[in-house]
Amino acid sequence: MGAALHPGPRGRSRAACYAEVAVPGAAIGLLSGAFAGGVASLAGLPAAMVAAIAVGLGAPLALFGGLYCVLLAAGRIGVGAVGPVALLWLVGFPLSRLADEFVVAQVLGQESVLREPLLSFLLFQAMLSLGYAIGFLWLHERLAPRWLLRITGHNDVAATLVARYVEHVSSVRARPRRAADRGR
Amino acid sequence: MDSSDVNPSGTTPTGVPPETPKPLIPRQRRPTPDESAGGSAATGPAPAKAKPAERFWRAGRLEPLPIRPLPEAPPSIHILGPTVFLVALGVGMGESYMWPRLVLIFGPEIRWLFLIGVTLQAVVMLEMSRYAMATGESIFFGAARVFKPLMWFFFVTAILVYIWPGHLSAGASAFERVTGIPWQATAVAGMLLVGVVFTLAKVVYNLLENVLSICIGVLVVGTSVVAAMVGSFADLSSTITGMFHFGYLPEEALSPAWFPIIVGSIAFAGPSGMQQMWYTLHLRDKGAGMGAHVPRIRGLRHAEDQESMPSRGFMFDTSDPDEMRKWKGWRRWVTFDALLLFWGVTMLVTVSFTVLAQASARLDPGVADVIRDGEREAALDAMANSFAAAGSPVFGTVFFCFIALIGLNATLGLFDSFSRGQADMTYYFVPGAKRFSISKLYAFFLWGLIAFGILVLLFGPADGPASILDVLAFLSTFAMGAYCVVLLLVNNITLPRPIRPGIVSNVIIGFAAVFYLGALFYSLFAYGVVVS
Repeated sequence: MGAALHPGPRGRSRAACYAEVAVPGAAIGLLSGAFAGGVASLAGLPAAMVAAIAVGLGAPLALFGGLYCVLLAAGRIGVGAVGPVALLWLVGFPLSRLADEFVVAQVLGQESVLREPLLSFLLFQAMLSLGYAIGFLWLHERLAPRWLLRITGHNDVAATLVARYVEHVSSVRARPRRAADRGR
Repeated sequence: MDSSDVNPSGTTPTGVPPETPKPLIPRQRRPTPDESAGGSAATGPAPAKAKPAERFWRAGRLEPLPIRPLPEAPPSIHILGPTVFLVALGVGMGESYMWPRLVLIFGPEIRWLFLIGVTLQAVVMLEMSRYAMATGESIFFGAARVFKPLMWFFFVTAILVYIWPGHLSAGASAFERVTGIPWQATAVAGMLLVGVVFTLAKVVYNLLENVLSICIGVLVVGTSVVAAMVGSFADLSSTITGMFHFGYLPEEALSPAWFPIIVGSIAFAGPSGMQQMWYTLHLRDKGAGMGAHVPRIRGLRHAEDQESMPSRGFMFDTSDPDEMRKWKGWRRWVTFDALLLFWGVTMLVTVSFTVLAQASARLDPGVADVIRDGEREAALDAMANSFAAAGSPVFGTVFFCFIALIGLNATLGLFDSFSRGQADMTYYFVPGAKRFSISKLYAFFLWGLIAFGILVLLFGPADGPASILDVLAFLSTFAMGAYCVVLLLVNNITLPRPIRPGIVSNVIIGFAAVFYLGALFYSLFAYGVVVS
């Protein structure tokens, strides 16, 4: 952690760099919460309920989404790899849903938080987490590269991650060319 | 930046249009005895007399395939690929409405039939990709290599089945429920928008893959979140365990009222009709396998930049161990696509929708009756209302939003795929069509489809004339049986022996052909009803 607080070569702390890199994953998490909250608002639910759904679900999902980006930037996860994302959300999705149920129960003043036993609830959420993981990764792979290219000028962590993306892409592009060159 | 793009430049791996140079290919060969014995496929010296260094693979009676190097396969564990088109086309009303409906009526045990249907489609997908990646040609071209009338059958069937804009009604009607905008207006505006966007796109494939990826991503994330909020562990576990009740078939399922619907739901689990055949065109544009040697289709606005298309595909040297190593890499890549993306995502969306339906029936038992008896619109209303009752009005709206999104995906994918397939067959097989670039032919079919669709929406029956509805439904299912037969012929006759399908794949595809055609004719003769 100590290293994370040292300023990078361009004067920005590593923590700030990682936080900026985490934006796409966090944004997808927030969007997921906003998705539920936004439609709740369309359907005319009370503002408190809308906020509870949006924040209660969106905040923890954003936290785990951001964590994915940090792990990706730190090289702990391969670019576009599915397995680690599935594992991350196997833990993250049930916990996020638990937090969501808790917040909504608090806002509505309900005594019981869950409709079913905790273990069943967590198992159910864990099983659905795979779907969320795939959707998350699908969106992340579309959004993150664009964001990283925007910030790469002032963010070393992003620059390193972009280099990994470029390496990944160019290895895919270069191979056919080498194959074709051999054919000349 | 698309980290999954296999052939992003849209050119051949050498960076030049494929027709201009005639590179000398090293280590070319005479056919092995095995390959020469393989049906009508054999390497031959046909045009090689003029260019002795050029080697060819002769497949059928059409122009032989020149030997070119096979590009290296990308890493297999990657999330994005042309499968997004199949998912976009395949995750439709079957997954969101038909199967949840069957579960409510017959119980979750009926889902074993869905498992069979989607698994068959995954194998079909793998076999479709075999020919497309080995040659860079579409399966339509492959059919023509075996017997040209087969290809013309698909050309005519595509026009008859897919020219009617009825498929827009479900998504546009759902949009009407949410916004109040009449569905015809949405459908016409949507078609025009699709036409303009595909016309202006520099490379159609890139644009479409981006848009569909975002849509599918939102759909998958959204259904997961909503199912997590309204469903329960019991709903999910019964949905999943129901998939393994092999042999469960209640008596009512065999009645004239339900048998054609159940068979249709199995056949249309995942992509239906000709959607699997169009997938081969997307693989080519993605640059998968030998598709890397074929240019991509550009939008009409950029038609002048369109590289000239080669007059046929290419083949790689299957006697070279290094080439075979690369081929295995491509097979891994597409298998990953088939299993995780196609099979997995289709399963996930259906499981989520089934969980939603079960939750709704638990909270409002009357919904099962409405769904059993009602028309599609009434049943969709009932499901939306019960979702609303499940927690809040949110879920009714969400349900319609999902249906609208599914409709949008299907429309985008279908308009592109239809135009792509017809342009491909026209370019290669209609005399004189090569005067036009493939971009222009693509635009011709796209705008023809849109113009006809708008006219029909405004003045005619959206699903097609009532008198031919049964014929269209028949053709759609018949095409699926027919393409399985075509797959068996194309892959086992026109490909070199080392890359032909194994016995297991052949048996499964044979079973699929018997199933689709057998169920179609059984339903017709036993019940006098066309599979629907």
